[in-house]
Amino acid sequence: MSEPPGAAVSLTEAPPSATDAPSKPLAAQRVLPLRRPGRWIATAVVLVLAAQFVHGLVTNPFYQWDRFGYWFLRPTILDGLLVTLEVTAYSAVLGLLGGILLALARLSKSPVLRAVSWIYIWTFRSIPLIVILLFLYNFSALYQTLSVGVPFGPAFFTFDESRLATDIVVAVVGLSLNQAAYAAEAVRGGILSVDQGQHEAAAALGLPKGYQFRKVVFPQALRSITPNYVNQLIDLVKATSLVFYVSLLDLFGAAQTMGATYPGDIVPLLLVVTVWYLILTTVVSVVQFYVERYFARGATRTLPPTPLQKLRTAVSDLRDRVRREAAV
Amino acid sequence: MRTHLTRRSLIRGLTAATAVATLATGLAACGGDSDAATRTDDAAGTVTVGRLSNGAATETELKVSEVKSISALLPADIKKSGKLVIGSGTLPSGAPPLGFVGSDQKTLTGSEIDLARLVSAVLGLKPEVQRSTWENLFIGLDSGKVDVAFSNVTDTEERKQKYEFASYRKDDLAFEVKKDNTWNFDNNYENLAGKTVSVGNGTNQEKILLEWKAKLAKEGKKLTVKYFQETNSLYLALNSGKIDAYFGPSPNLSYHTTQTAKTPQATRIAGQFSGAGETLQGLIAATAKKDSGLAKPLAAAINHLIDNGQYAKWLKAWNLSGEAVAKSEVNPPGLPLTNS
Amino acid sequence: MSTETLQIVPAAVEVHDVHKWYGSHRVLDGVDLTVRAGEVTVILGPSGSGKSTLLRVVNHLEKPEIGYVSVNGELIGVRKQGDHLKELSERAILAQRSNIGFVFQNFNLFPHLTVLENVAAAPVATGKLDRDEAHKLARELLDRVGLADKETAYPRQLSGGQQQRVAIARALALRPGVILFDEPTSALDPELVGEVLAVIKDLAKSGTTLVIVTHEIGFAREIADRVVFIDGGKIVEQGPPSEVLDKPRHERTRDFLSKVL
Repeated sequence: MSEPPGAAVSLTEAPPSATDAPSKPLAAQRVLPLRRPGRWIATAVVLVLAAQFVHGLVTNPFYQWDRFGYWFLRPTILDGLLVTLEVTAYSAVLGLLGGILLALARLSKSPVLRAVSWIYIWTFRSIPLIVILLFLYNFSALYQTLSVGVPFGPAFFTFDESRLATDIVVAVVGLSLNQAAYAAEAVRGGILSVDQGQHEAAAALGLPKGYQFRKVVFPQALRSITPNYVNQLIDLVKATSLVFYVSLLDLFGAAQTMGATYPGDIVPLLLVVTVWYLILTTVVSVVQFYVERYFARGATRTLPPTPLQKLRTAVSDLRDRVRREAAV
Repeated sequence: MRTHLTRRSLIRGLTAATAVATLATGLAACGGDSDAATRTDDAAGTVTVGRLSNGAATETELKVSEVKSISALLPADIKKSGKLVIGSGTLPSGAPPLGFVGSDQKTLTGSEIDLARLVSAVLGLKPEVQRSTWENLFIGLDSGKVDVAFSNVTDTEERKQKYEFASYRKDDLAFEVKKDNTWNFDNNYENLAGKTVSVGNGTNQEKILLEWKAKLAKEGKKLTVKYFQETNSLYLALNSGKIDAYFGPSPNLSYHTTQTAKTPQATRIAGQFSGAGETLQGLIAATAKKDSGLAKPLAAAINHLIDNGQYAKWLKAWNLSGEAVAKSEVNPPGLPLTNS
Repeated sequence: MSTETLQIVPAAVEVHDVHKWYGSHRVLDGVDLTVRAGEVTVILGPSGSGKSTLLRVVNHLEKPEIGYVSVNGELIGVRKQGDHLKELSERAILAQRSNIGFVFQNFNLFPHLTVLENVAAAPVATGKLDRDEAHKLARELLDRVGLADKETAYPRQLSGGQQQRVAIARALALRPGVILFDEPTSALDPELVGEVLAVIKDLAKSGTTLVIVTHEIGFAREIADRVVFIDGGKIVEQGPPSEVLDKPRHERTRDFLSKVL
C-alpha cells in the first residue's frame, strides 16, 4: 500500500512556525469538533421543562411557601431533626460494627458461625423494620429484666428492662439490628473483592491475623464497601421516619404531629421535611465523595479531582482554548 | 416460683447470646427524653384545662384536691407508686382536640389529657402521660407499661374481654367531606352506596362502617373503605378527592373543620352517628387492663368531678358540652360483639 | 549506609518426602530436597509440574499431606509429638514465616500503602522493630534495590519491574534466612526483566539462601549453585547447572530444555 504522495508531502514538510501562512498545512490546523444540533435541542427542551417545574413550585399557592418559611427552623422541627441525626448516627456506627462481625462470621471457617451469621442476615433482611421496632418497643412485655452474666449461670448485673430501654435506645437497637444485616452483605462483598494475592502476601510476611485484617484487607475492602454502605446510610436516614412506632418523634414525626395541630399547614410541613432530607442526603453524598477519594489512594494512579479542582481545570482549559484560538 | 426461675435463666441465655443487651447497655447513657416523657402537673391543687389548645378551648383553672375515700379504692401498687401512667395513642399525628401537641409546639395537651389530670388529682396521684401509636397503646396496657388509657377509647363488648372501663363521654361520630361536596349522611347508611370512605384502622367506627359495607354488599351496592396510617395523609387524600368522606370521632372532625375553614382545604361536617350503633349510645371510657381494679376508683373520681360541676367546666372549656354523660359507669354495655 | 541492619544469616532448608494432593490430583509425589545455607537453588519444570507448589509448601502457604519441611532444623507448620506430626497454631506458623521471605509472580504489594509502608509493615507488625527503626531499614533496603526516590509513591504508580523490586525489599525487611522466588519475572515486560534479575543476582552474591522458580535458563546458569528439574510432582534430576543444563541425563529434562531454550 502506498500513501497518496501529496498528503505525505504536506504533512511531513510543513514548517512548524508557518502559522500565518495563507494556506495552512493540514498538520497545523485545529480539528473542528463535530456539531451536534440534536444535543442542543434536547438541552433546550430540558431547560424549559425544568424552568416550568420550578416556576410551578414557586407560584402554586398549594405549597404555601410563606408557611414553609415559618416552619423550616421551628424548634419542634429542629428537635425532630436532632432525633433523626442521633438515631441515624448511632445506628450507622453500630450497624457497621455489627455488619463487620457478621461478615467475618460469614467468611469464617467455622460452619456454626457461618450458619448463625447466615440465619441472622436472612432473618433481619426478611422482617420489616416496623415489626422489629414494634417487638423491641414491647420487649418489656416479654422480658421484664435483662441481666449480664455467665450464660445460664449467675447474673452480675440485672436491669429493669423498661427503665433501661428508653425510646431512643429501642430505636437505635432496632435500626442497628436491621442495618447490621445489610451492612454484613456490603462488608462481605468488600472483603471478597480484595485480591486473593493480598491475603497470601500478608500471610507470607507473617503478619499477625488481626493486623492482616485491619491494615491490609479491610482498608482495601472499604473501597467497595463505601458506596454500598452509603446507599444504606441514606436509606437509614429515611428509615428513621418509622421511629414514631417507638414513641419517638423524628423530623418526619414532628412534622406529622404539627400537621395535626395545624391542619392547614400539612403541605408546607411535608415540604419542610423534604428539604431537610435533601440537605441530609447532600451532606452524606459530599462526605461519601471524600471518603471514596481517600480510599482510592493507591488504587488508581491519580486521585479523582474534587469539584473545586474540576472547576479550576475547566476554567484553565477554557482560557487555554481561547488563547489558542486567538493565536490560530 | 418455678416459672420465674425458668424465665430468669432464659433471659440470661438470651443476654449472653445476643447483641441486644450489649447494645442496650452501651447506649443506656445516651437516651434522651422524648416528647412522650413525663409532664408534671401545675401547682398542687390547681389543674388548668384547655391550655395551649390552639383555639380549640378556653383556658380554665380548676381547684381539685385528693378525695381520700376515692383514692382508698385504688389498687395498692398504684397507690404506693404515687403516680398514674396515662396512655395517649396519638402518634405520630395528634388527634386534636382530644390529644395533641399544643400551640407551644411541644406540650401534649387535649381534652382527654386534661380529664386524666383532673382524675389523677382527685386520686392524689401524679399524672405521667406516655404517648404512643394507637396499636402500642393497647400493647402498653397489656404489658403494664401504661396504667390507664385516656385516648378516646370506645367501650365495646369485644374490648371488655381484655380491658375494664370507666365511661366519661358520649362517643359521637361524624362524617367530614370537602366544603363544596353536597353529600349528607342523613342518618341512613344507604347514602354511603358508591362512596369511598376512610376510617381509622382498629377503631370502633371502623367496625360500624364495615358492617354497613356488608349490608350494602347484600343489597348489591358498593362502599369502598380506605385506610391511612395517620390523619395527615388521610386529609391530603380527602382534599385531592381520593376519598369522598372521613368517618371519625366528632370532636376531631370539628377541630379540623374549624382550623381549615379559611384555607383552600376547607371541609364541613356531613352528619353524625352514635358510636354504639343505632340502638345504643356509644361511650368513651378510661381503659385499664381487665381485673386491674382501676375502673372502680376511676369511675368514682369521674363521678366526683361530675357532682362538683368541674366535669361540666372541663367539657365547656373544650366546647364538648354536647358529649356530656350523666354519670360514669364501670363497664357499661357497649357496642355488641355482633352488631346486627 | 550501615550494612549491619541488612545482615542476614543464611539458613538451610530441608524438604523431606513431601506429598501433596489437590483432590485426587497428585501435585507433589515424594519430593526430597536439601538446600544448604547460602546456596542458590533454581527449580525448573514444565507448567503444572508442581514447582510452585513445592515453593509454597516450604513456607507453609500449602500444607503437605505427608512429609515435612524444616528450615535450619526447625519444622515448619508442624511439631513433633511422639511419632506424629501435629499442626501448629496459625499464630506460630505466622511467626515462623518471618524467617522465610517470599516473592510472588504478581508482586502482591499492598496497593493502599506507600512503597515505604509496604516495606516497613512486616517488621513493625511482627514487633521486631519500632516504627522509626523500620522506616530506617526500609529506606536502606529501597536504596539497595535502587528505589530510594520512590518511597512515597504508591505501588500502582510504579512499573512492574519497580514493583517487583519493592516486593523483594519487602521480603528482605524481615531479614529472612531464606528467600523464595515464585517466577519473579514472569509477569514483567521483557525490557523490565533485567533490573529484577540484577537485584536477585546481587542477593545471590551476598550469600543469602535463595530458592528460585524461573524459566530464565540463562539466568539460572549464571547464578545457580544447583538446578533442580521437577516434573509430575517428582524431582527428575538435580545438580550444578553445568550438568543439568548442559548435559542432562534424563529424556524429560532434555525435552523441556529443548522447548524453552
